[in-house]
Amino acid sequence: MSLTEARALDPEVAPDVRGPTAPLPATIFALGVASLVVITLGVVFSQVNYALSDRVLTRSCIEQQISPEDNGAVGVCSIVEALDDPLTTGSLYLGVALGGIALVLGLASYRRMDSERRRDHAITGAVLGAQGILLAIAILWFRSASPALFAKHFLNFADLEGYGSAFVRGARNTLTLALAGELGGIVIGLVLGVLTLSHRRSIRAPARIYINFFRGTPLIWQLVAGYFLLLFGFGVRLSAFTAAIIVFALNTGAYAAEVFRAGIQSIERGQIEAARSLGMSYSQAMRYAIVPQAVRRVIPPLMNEFVILIKDTALVIALGLTAANYDIFTTAREGQSATFNSTFFTVAAIAYLIVTLPLIRLVNAAEKRLRSGLVGVAGAGG
Amino acid sequence: MADLETTDATIRGTSGVPLVRLEGIHKWFGNLHVLRGIDLTIQQRDVVVVIGPSGSGKSTLLRCVNMLEAPTLGTVWFEDEEITDIRADLNEVRTHMGIVFQAYNLFPHMTAVRNITLALEKVLKLPSDEAHDRAMDQLARVGVGNKASSFPGQLSGGQQQRVAIARALAMQPKVMLFDEVTSALDPELVGEVLEVMIRLAGDGMTMMVVTHEMGFAREVGTRMLFLDEGRVEEQGEPKDMFLRPQSDRLRQFLAKVL
Repeated sequence: MSLTEARALDPEVAPDVRGPTAPLPATIFALGVASLVVITLGVVFSQVNYALSDRVLTRSCIEQQISPEDNGAVGVCSIVEALDDPLTTGSLYLGVALGGIALVLGLASYRRMDSERRRDHAITGAVLGAQGILLAIAILWFRSASPALFAKHFLNFADLEGYGSAFVRGARNTLTLALAGELGGIVIGLVLGVLTLSHRRSIRAPARIYINFFRGTPLIWQLVAGYFLLLFGFGVRLSAFTAAIIVFALNTGAYAAEVFRAGIQSIERGQIEAARSLGMSYSQAMRYAIVPQAVRRVIPPLMNEFVILIKDTALVIALGLTAANYDIFTTAREGQSATFNSTFFTVAAIAYLIVTLPLIRLVNAAEKRLRSGLVGVAGAGG
Repeated sequence: MADLETTDATIRGTSGVPLVRLEGIHKWFGNLHVLRGIDLTIQQRDVVVVIGPSGSGKSTLLRCVNMLEAPTLGTVWFEDEEITDIRADLNEVRTHMGIVFQAYNLFPHMTAVRNITLALEKVLKLPSDEAHDRAMDQLARVGVGNKASSFPGQLSGGQQQRVAIARALAMQPKVMLFDEVTSALDPELVGEVLEVMIRLAGDGMTMMVVTHEMGFAREVGTRMLFLDEGRVEEQGEPKDMFLRPQSDRLRQFLAKVL
């Protein structure tokens, strides 16, 4: 190695060995990006342009079954008209053309690229180009069918005025149902999980029967049956809301039990042996040595269960809640039946996403953290 | 076999009840017959070394002593208590027998000192300051006093294993069991662990050591057992056995490992 080369290497930073790019792969990459950008910008620009203009219902809109008497008809019409805007049409075809060139060039050339970065650019360009083509085709297909009918029912936000507080209350109730259900489920699950690990079948069997029953029957059946069982069977007079929390807890308990069981089983055998060899009883060993380690490992899957439960709370619609207890989904359904406008469900989806997306990110971060061993659960390292 | 047992008695003719006595130990794992009738007596201040090829049942035998592995057949006594009896309080018995494992088995979510104080507080019911003092003493004794607040993941294998030894010693056991405690260590870390064990033997600790360290077996062991296919193939004074192995199996084994 020559002296100049040696000086170029910074010992503190790993060298970048991917090499420079070249005009051809850079062009392919740019074409792929351009394809997606052109399509997105064209569609968005048309939509914004039409939404901001003070248009009236056009003849073509009325032909497409949008009645001037409909609340919000103008807004819906704008969406549909904007889809047929020459700017949208042009950008869609241009996007397909750019994407096609990127795809063909990228596929034809990536094998011949002589550095890693060049190959990356060629392949990424081809992939983005393909995505642009698919996106354009989807939009073209959508607008060739009955976009007016769809927009009228799912993108007509005029009827939602005044429902803001109802949705906020719905979100609060959904979170209450899910949180209370999850907490109850974790307690039930921890107990059941430990029971399933017993070496005695007489202890294991009832726990397994419970778990298999709740995992094996539909949650909506459990909600209805559980509510009426409590009400008529046991004579417990509970609100549908409270009954739902109990059933959610019982159901989540079954899944959480499996999570805890797997978590405990994932702790090395040597851990319980070490604890027992120091004179600890089985329950002491579990409590001080095993469960604290297992808990760290089960946090991501339990959070995942929580996200699932948030969405599953929509099933309380089967129980007939009182208005103050409406969750997100029931709120949307009530709005929809009052106005015959399904845009309420579109908003419901957005409301669920607002709650679940941050949680999903949190789960992924927790999983990554656990994998990297930063929480100190890695085994004996030499 | 029969005359080997008599030599055993003559070598350590100490008076009084032996600390540990195993009689007719058999162990099956499923249909695998791992231990095939083993008798063993450990007296005060004995350092019993167990050698043998892998799969010969050395670790299983050691784990039968504190009942981490229950023998399928046979009896284990600790002092004058039969601990294979189902009514025996194994939790209490185990507080008198320390064991150190090949994989250290420290609790990874606790600091070194907490690893030691846990059982002192929860099992021996010591007040926490007393438990802490005792733990610090033991950590210093094995030479890792400055690592008290480190987590196992922050320690080298040798340091972890010494913490594990300190954890067992802190219970003030009457006998220490070592299960291939240097086998998982990088070669340059073996010495520091062996040194602790040699010092322990010098202090008069009763020990049972399953090991592949032939030098340690010869120098520190007061008695040696050679296990092969679940049987005690040969036993006696370590130096004697290394110098004049009686059985072909031991000769072959020593030829391979020395």
